[in-house]
Amino acid sequence: MDGVDGTDRQEGKQDGPTPSLLFIILDTNPHAWALLQNTLPFSKAIANILVFINAHLAVNNANQVAVIASHSQRSVWLYPRPPSDPQHGDDSDTGMDDENKTDTSNLSDASKYRPFALIENSLLHSLRKLIKTTTEADIKATTSTQMAGALTMALSYINKATIAFLDTGAAAKPTPTALDSSDKAVGLQSRILVVSVSGDLAYQYIPIMNSTFAAQRLRVPMDILKLAGDTVFLQQAAFTTRAVYLQLKNLQGVLQYLMMAFLPDQLARKHLVVPTQEVVDFRAACFCHRSVVDVGFVCSICLSIFCTPPEGAICLTCETQLALGDYGNKPAVIPKKKKKKKRALDGGSSRATPAPEAA
Amino acid sequence: MSSRAGSGLKGSALYKKTDGVFSITDDRKSIIWTPSQPPDAAPAITIAITNISNLQQTPETNPKVILKIFEKPPGGTEATPAITHLFHFNSPKAPREEANAIKEVLSCLLVGLKANDPSVSKVNGHLPVSKAPGALQFASSDGWYEDSQLKADFDLQRDLMIRNPFLKQTYDEFRKLKSDGLSLTQFNSQFWSTRTNMLRAHAVEFNQKKGSYNVLSEVKPIGDSVTINREQIQLVFSQHPLVKQVYDENVPKLNEVLFWERFFLSRLYKKLKGNRITESDTTDPTFDRYLNQSDDDRSLRRRQEETQIPHFIDLEGNEENQGGTKSGNRKDWTMRPNSTTKVPIIRSLNSVSERIMANVAPSDIDPANPIGMSEKEFNELTLRDLQAASNETRIELNIKEQSLIQSRHKSSVSEEARFYAAKVPSDVLHDLSDDVMNGIGGGLQSAIGFIDDSNSEDEDKLPHVGSKSSIAEAQEHLIQGVKARGKEIAVARGNTDSKTMQAGLSNGIFESLTLSHATTTEFLNQFWLLFLSGDADRAGELSKTVESLDRAMERINAVAAAAEKERQEVIEQQRQEIRAHYQRTQKRLAWNANTIKGGEKTVMEMMDPIIKTLRKALTDYKEAFAAQNLEAPGS
Repeated sequence: MDGVDGTDRQEGKQDGPTPSLLFIILDTNPHAWALLQNTLPFSKAIANILVFINAHLAVNNANQVAVIASHSQRSVWLYPRPPSDPQHGDDSDTGMDDENKTDTSNLSDASKYRPFALIENSLLHSLRKLIKTTTEADIKATTSTQMAGALTMALSYINKATIAFLDTGAAAKPTPTALDSSDKAVGLQSRILVVSVSGDLAYQYIPIMNSTFAAQRLRVPMDILKLAGDTVFLQQAAFTTRAVYLQLKNLQGVLQYLMMAFLPDQLARKHLVVPTQEVVDFRAACFCHRSVVDVGFVCSICLSIFCTPPEGAICLTCETQLALGDYGNKPAVIPKKKKKKKRALDGGSSRATPAPEAA
Repeated sequence: MSSRAGSGLKGSALYKKTDGVFSITDDRKSIIWTPSQPPDAAPAITIAITNISNLQQTPETNPKVILKIFEKPPGGTEATPAITHLFHFNSPKAPREEANAIKEVLSCLLVGLKANDPSVSKVNGHLPVSKAPGALQFASSDGWYEDSQLKADFDLQRDLMIRNPFLKQTYDEFRKLKSDGLSLTQFNSQFWSTRTNMLRAHAVEFNQKKGSYNVLSEVKPIGDSVTINREQIQLVFSQHPLVKQVYDENVPKLNEVLFWERFFLSRLYKKLKGNRITESDTTDPTFDRYLNQSDDDRSLRRRQEETQIPHFIDLEGNEENQGGTKSGNRKDWTMRPNSTTKVPIIRSLNSVSERIMANVAPSDIDPANPIGMSEKEFNELTLRDLQAASNETRIELNIKEQSLIQSRHKSSVSEEARFYAAKVPSDVLHDLSDDVMNGIGGGLQSAIGFIDDSNSEDEDKLPHVGSKSSIAEAQEHLIQGVKARGKEIAVARGNTDSKTMQAGLSNGIFESLTLSHATTTEFLNQFWLLFLSGDADRAGELSKTVESLDRAMERINAVAAAAEKERQEVIEQQRQEIRAHYQRTQKRLAWNANTIKGGEKTVMEMMDPIIKTLRKALTDYKEAFAAQNLEAPGS
């Protein structure tokens, strides 16, 4: 009840703490989670994340949360549910009855704060449905996850939420522009948390980097909680958006990581020293084979990156004819004997007879 | 500037099998060749530049550098054949560069002559040779200075190093350490080949001259006294003719020092400087007489009239035509003529800059252009927004869809993907769905596995999600991260002292470490340039560089050893202090040798990246060497 009272007062005065939106992208790559079965089972991870979500909502009751699953073949909304998927509708899925039982029992638990129960219920329901609808063929077809798509969805949702917030809650507040240089906190403070378990995302290099830069412009930090694998581009994303990147040392202490490192929102982080890793891998992926390169070739016109010079030195992206320097020649470490002799001869003869060669 | 004169325009050259020196005279009227034996020989050949009819040079690829000069026989007609002179440039250092420099200058002079330019001392119409003869060869190239010329210009390099002590230090260090087989020329060209950008910037800077400045605002009276030097007085006179007039009329009567002191206190000074004159300013009858005279002297006025101001920016003209302040310019008080009293600072600054500019010969105008408005000025003055939109001059880029590119190339499969692909899909799915369906049945509290009153000792036996030990470990990890980040922030804000930066190394050791790092980087740079050039002719040079890399490693080790020795000395000293303390007081002090930082370990940590790169370079070299040895067993 205290919470409800607080809301009224805040809305009346318009000067309470700025609410924040936490957008969680949950990497549900089945392969990776199967591998983590013995250390951090998927269900336990979900439970920890739910506790974290509850903590986020408890900080400020105007806080919002959204969860999306980046699955092996598509990105799926987990919470809030899309309108087309009613929570207790006439879903004829066979498994629904069982689930509904647990759902209702969960909701009727009097000792649980209802918003927490609602989210938990909805999220688990969507997640179970997602796993149920995953076929073996899906898993066989790909070993990775649709991170780029999920990021794009996150950014568009954040954009919508920001606009909606400004329209309803705070019409009097000035509209923040994406490039607004002032650090004054206006509107909704949104951030993305990626719970990532897949390592290999090189083939999504360009879309991921595009969404990273979009997030940077929108001032949306992209926090990365890395449970497994190591993704170069997510490191860069966290660095570019001045967010937290954490590669966990101890998976079983995941809740501690979530609470200590990821709970504060942008406003609070300004006053805190945020743990993040010191070294950022800045390598890029080439456009031709999508492999991460140490040394590469860059088209001087369109800045496309290649791991080896493209065929005929024609840029694959913009079709510009490029010129290559003498880079990439086979190193010559042994002087050619013949040449040396010739040079020595030259040196001798030129002194003696300079005239005939002059013309 | 004068130090650079002429030295780039000399070269040792063989003429008819005799050693000698080929040079261009300082007045650029003729070329001379002087035999080197006897030492004080008179020039054997002198060719006036006006008599040269043609130049020929052996191509760059030819190892022999021969310059062929065709001389018109004196008094000869077109029909008589020219006399040819062959100069074989045989300088041990860089014959090609020497010859090129000379040929550049010569061809420039010839072009100048052929254009019937009366003054040969001008090249490209604006660089007076008498002032910067060394710069001539730069001006002759098209705008940007050629790499090869920059690399060959020793004077420019020396000059740059004088101005950049750090570069000089690197150069000296690098030169000291270079392998003996590398000649000075080779070394020089190697060293500068990676720094042509610095040379170019310096050459550009070098060729720029500083103009005069608003002198009245520079001279600052301190109290009553004023320090003004002769040069500044000259500038005041040229910028403010009125002051010259006042000086002329008053100085014999007035002491010169006194004149300047009073001038800088007077209202006239304030007026000329553009300051507002207030009631409290001291009056001085000598200077106040001139207050109403305009500093805009007649000559400037005449010049303004001559320059034909376009009508629509001619404020006075507009005023006459009943435009100006009565209509369009009414609001803008800066756009009115003769409002000196209203905005004196703008007025005076404008007139000073105008006068300064009037005294500078324009360097970017072709004197051959018709007098009046140039095309550039015209373009500046046109009202562009009234014109039709011009055609865009963009270059079209045909960007292809990224997915198309990818489909054409088979993407390589990562290790992770291969690993996952080996799993049985049904197992994976079954495990996961099993877990999701039943995992959180018991509620969140039990699922997160945190047991409030559990004993950490019990848990250690069976770690599980949320166990005390794992949470403690996570916390430790995070706090480490916070500490590291905190340190980083402190460094970024400059809050740390040099001690922490040096990690316990003494200044001397740290400096030698910095230096050896810099030189090693330099060697690596050269190594890769040579190694990747694929030029078999330079393989000898390459092997020399590899020797240097070997020695670079030794140097790092030596620094590490020195650091370790230093650390041991500190430890020993502290031990003795503790012993002395113990003998005095019979109390033991807690002490641990590990608290003393620095030493070999620190050095190796700091140098770790460069050691890795050294190793990589050497390994690559050895591999390439072995591979080529196999190919050519005969060598």
